[in-house]
Amino acid sequence: MVFEELEHTADIRMRISAPDLSSLFSESGSALAKILYGAYPLEKPTESFSIEAEGKDLEELIVNFLSELLFLTETEYLVPQKFTLSVGNSVSGTVEGVLFDRKKHSGGTGVKGISYSGLSLTRTKTGFELIIIFDI
Amino acid sequence: MNDQIRKITNNEWEIPTDFVPGMRVPGRFFLSENLAETLEDGALTQLANVATLPGILRYSLGMPDIHWGYGFPIGGVGAFDAETGVISPGGVGFDINCGVRMITTPLHVSDIPDLRGIIEDLFTAVPTGVGSKSPIRLSQNDLSSMLEDGAKNAVEMGYGMESDIPRCEENGAMAGAQPEHVSKKARQRGIPQCGTLGSGNHFLEIQVTDDIVDEATAKTFGVSEGQICVMIHCGSRGLGHQVCTDHLQILESATKKYGIDLPDRQLACAPLSSPEGEAYFGAMAASANYAWANRQIITHIVRELFVKKFQVDYEEMPLVYDVAHNVAKWEEHEVDGLRQKVCVHRKGATRAFGPGRVELPHEFRACGQPVIIPGSMGTSSYLLAGTQGAMDKTFGSTCHGSGRVKSRSSAKRCQTGEEVVNALLRQGIIVRAPNQAAIAEEAPDVYKSSSEVVQTVHDAGISRIVARMRPLGVIKG
Repeated sequence: MVFEELEHTADIRMRISAPDLSSLFSESGSALAKILYGAYPLEKPTESFSIEAEGKDLEELIVNFLSELLFLTETEYLVPQKFTLSVGNSVSGTVEGVLFDRKKHSGGTGVKGISYSGLSLTRTKTGFELIIIFDI
Repeated sequence: MNDQIRKITNNEWEIPTDFVPGMRVPGRFFLSENLAETLEDGALTQLANVATLPGILRYSLGMPDIHWGYGFPIGGVGAFDAETGVISPGGVGFDINCGVRMITTPLHVSDIPDLRGIIEDLFTAVPTGVGSKSPIRLSQNDLSSMLEDGAKNAVEMGYGMESDIPRCEENGAMAGAQPEHVSKKARQRGIPQCGTLGSGNHFLEIQVTDDIVDEATAKTFGVSEGQICVMIHCGSRGLGHQVCTDHLQILESATKKYGIDLPDRQLACAPLSSPEGEAYFGAMAASANYAWANRQIITHIVRELFVKKFQVDYEEMPLVYDVAHNVAKWEEHEVDGLRQKVCVHRKGATRAFGPGRVELPHEFRACGQPVIIPGSMGTSSYLLAGTQGAMDKTFGSTCHGSGRVKSRSSAKRCQTGEEVVNALLRQGIIVRAPNQAAIAEEAPDVYKSSSEVVQTVHDAGISRIVARMRPLGVIKG
């Protein structure tokens, strides 16, 4: 498992690991989607949106990227299935998914925001590790 | 309790100014001996950190439902000087004007033989949970009016009665709203979510008043024993969340620009009188107004359904009151013997104005405002009244709920959603949610006991108990 839930009283705190930044950002996006929609089935995407974010540092970049994804899910009723991202000083790419269907995607809870609280994005021997709190 | 904490009275504790570097005032929090073990170190540090903010007056305050939050602890209150003080989204929260309201009905338990039926009907009528869509088509202009005029705008659109307006804190519309500081993105999130309940700890509950503690005040509030009531708990939805996200970024830079030294990035802030501070205030007030309109629209849906199902008149379901839990507001308070205008941040705390305040409708000026404290799912909620004690000690503030004690992940490990639903059913409480899995995270035992929290604020004199309401059916988002 590349992401795991850590203890937090009020919100959802996660550890996410990946070999490179692009997959770390994709995994973080999947983690957000899992909180929002529960363990939903993977399907052939029918929708595609471009996604971009900027940030002064990697931490700000991941917060802005996830905030942008949250915005897309709420305004387009998008349930993400696949991310194709390029991450450097900024992040750009596409997120593909399906439209929200109450029967399949009601297992989660709304996320209010992506928090800087307890946020850390570090390089490890095997790649990158992110610890992040989703405010719910 | 931590060694550095000084006991003031049985329910009141003080954090000295040497607890963390840079504290300008001490911290004060209200907690009974029974609740003392629930206090997290993280929440204590956050309370102390708030005391380092420029212009903070008297104390950084914590209510008995205090727990670890973002920036300020949940249950945190801070009042700031108009000239030297700051405003911080960390003192308001992502869900601007998350709040609660209560309406009464002329019905009694015997009038609702099919409780499950009405809960199912409400669940269908009120859009609930992730991915739900508003029943209303708002134009950009409609949204702008809503951001300016809040509950009043909703009533003008036909969602409610004129008499609802004075029964909302701030008459359901905060002055100083500046819709121009609400971004296009926030508007895009707000338009399809207006009149939706949301998810997480938000709920709609059918209750029965089962204990009247103060008959006279209960009568003034329009509440009597055995009466069916409806409680609605929700906020400003994605619009408010986006406003918080947008302005946090602006205030991060402002913190540096104004040379404010912070112990924690989450307390990003700007002077109240700065353009950045004023922009956040204007956007926050607009979001608060959206939340009042949101609760007003949901109230209307509930009333319409009750009219149809139970043949009661719409007017027979008055609003007792509507209170905000997450907000920063300009209020007049006495500080060191002088009355002054201060900006009070309440982050998971409720205004509890005592007798005599001109902000209250005439009928409540003698007894203090109604304070509505929702219990956790399956536990009782309380109706309290504001007191002079709150004016003296807490800038007119009290607790907002029961406060979490157990993490969501450990809640899920302990029991499944289905087990929680069945346990509540055995107590006669029906729970309805889009999906049972999410219910485990909101199980009653993940919260402090609401009765203990309410007893603490009563004993501390920062509000007083008027009535208790027992849940019958709950819709969880």
